[in-house]
Amino acid sequence: MATPETVTATPGSLEGIKDSYEYGFHDSEKDYIFKAKKGLNRRVVEEISDHKNEPAWMREFRLKALEHFESRPMPKWAGGHMDQIDFQNIHYFVRASEKQGRTWDEVPDDIKNTFDKLGIPEAERKYLAGVGAQYESEVVYHQVREDLEKQGVIFMDMDTALREHEDLVREYWATVIPPNDNKLAALNSAVWSGGSFVYVPPGVHVEMPLQAYFRINTENMGQFERTLIIADEGSFVHYIEGCTAPTYTTDSLHSAVVEIVCKPGSRTRYTTIQNWSHNVYNLVTKRAVAHEGATMEWIDGNLGSKLTMKYPSIYLMGPEAHGEILSIAFAGKGQHQDAGGKCVHVAPHTTSTITSKSISKDGGRASYRGLLEVAPGAVKARSKVVCDALLLDEHSRSDTYPTIRIGEDDVDIGHEATVSKIGEEQLFYLRSRGLSEEEASGMIVGGFIEPFTRELPMEYAVEMNRLIELQMEGSIG
Amino acid sequence: MTETTTTVEIGAAAEFPAGAARIVEVDGRKIGVFNCDGDFLAIEDRCSHDDGPLAEGPFDPDTCTVECPRHGSLFDLRTGRPRTLPAYMPVDTFDVRIEDGTVKLEVS
Repeated sequence: MATPETVTATPGSLEGIKDSYEYGFHDSEKDYIFKAKKGLNRRVVEEISDHKNEPAWMREFRLKALEHFESRPMPKWAGGHMDQIDFQNIHYFVRASEKQGRTWDEVPDDIKNTFDKLGIPEAERKYLAGVGAQYESEVVYHQVREDLEKQGVIFMDMDTALREHEDLVREYWATVIPPNDNKLAALNSAVWSGGSFVYVPPGVHVEMPLQAYFRINTENMGQFERTLIIADEGSFVHYIEGCTAPTYTTDSLHSAVVEIVCKPGSRTRYTTIQNWSHNVYNLVTKRAVAHEGATMEWIDGNLGSKLTMKYPSIYLMGPEAHGEILSIAFAGKGQHQDAGGKCVHVAPHTTSTITSKSISKDGGRASYRGLLEVAPGAVKARSKVVCDALLLDEHSRSDTYPTIRIGEDDVDIGHEATVSKIGEEQLFYLRSRGLSEEEASGMIVGGFIEPFTRELPMEYAVEMNRLIELQMEGSIG
Repeated sequence: MTETTTTVEIGAAAEFPAGAARIVEVDGRKIGVFNCDGDFLAIEDRCSHDDGPLAEGPFDPDTCTVECPRHGSLFDLRTGRPRTLPAYMPVDTFDVRIEDGTVKLEVS
């Protein structure tokens, strides 16, 4: 997520924008502390564990996960793209800084300059309650507002949390996403590094968002952060993550695991603005459990990456729990956004909404892949699934793969899907009001994703609109 | 309706040490029998997540749990309930008793 202060274009205007991915720069690696050799094997996993001086149970967890990863076949259902990933041509652990800063002055200059360019320190000063900045494999800066710490809020990187709150981490670790849930979750479990740990005590409302920013710098890098959020009874927290990487001719891999536990009566919102460069495979497992009366919201925006496979899930375990998934995906040239969401109604009187919006242009492919499941006994469950796809040209593609399993009769379930193109009449009308064709198209796309942007804090909504404009560059003619 | 119970002899308790597990088939139904430090427990050999096999997964006698070998849900052998996702529905449990040094499974 870049700072709103970098905004230069007015909505609808594409003038002056030359480079469609402005975060593609990279820094020197001359001062790096450690860079693992390429490749994945038991020794690399042990090396990561050694570097972190972990407890024995975590080391065993990693090694067992590696066995799961090696024994599972590669998923074939995303157009065969995953076969192109060479898991032996990746650096699995890169340490760029000796220690983590509590002030930006403690962060090495090169890295600090990068986060300055991305606008993170400025955003922190203006409207965030806490920031974690991960650069390569580890978090190089972390800070949370003092008043929140006094209320018992824990917001720190996962490596530190494992050292300082081992019992709390261990109680919830991998209970939502076990290491052999899927091949990529197994990979993350074996080589995880960094990510965030958040604990919000009962009744505490964190009014301003917590933000994590993930940056890959090295070529052929794998970033495998691990995030665990526990919202205790009646609490509220909004966590925002953003991500960028340099543009290289070879591929990098990002494969995170995010687990969220929403205890009774709590509410968690998790917002993602994914803007990886177009050489990054983004294969992420995100899942939340919502207990009685709790609310979980995934606000998931996917603009970057070469291939994204991500389906945030919510298990509604307690009566009257509510789940909300709002997903947008923008697939441009050479991109495949395989996104969607899953809601599983386990308890009675649970409700959910899944809204998916996708835009495909210049031969890009966007897919919605979703699951709605109602368990026997989840009476009076209500859910609505809406998938809308916008195709901007005849070379692009949109697919929908909805799965609905209903194990209970007394439920109210709805599913709607639309595929549309920008209409000649819409363009004609807007051009008759003085807009150029490019401006008119930008405005139509902006309106299409408005259900997403209106859910973002104002500064992020402005930035999101700007990123969409960049994606729309050159879409006419 | 009357429920019938079938008693199946698994074998000598002396040959079924702590930490051991066996899978038996009763009337076409596979059941996992586990020795949790002298406490004999049995659950159906079916993960409620996707109906795949369960009892052949890693068994932890310290916590009396078995891990689904396919997607990793951890099942409590005493209650049949999953402790971790992705499974969320319990599986059936069965009584096991030791009689005259023999392990006997009761399937209803």
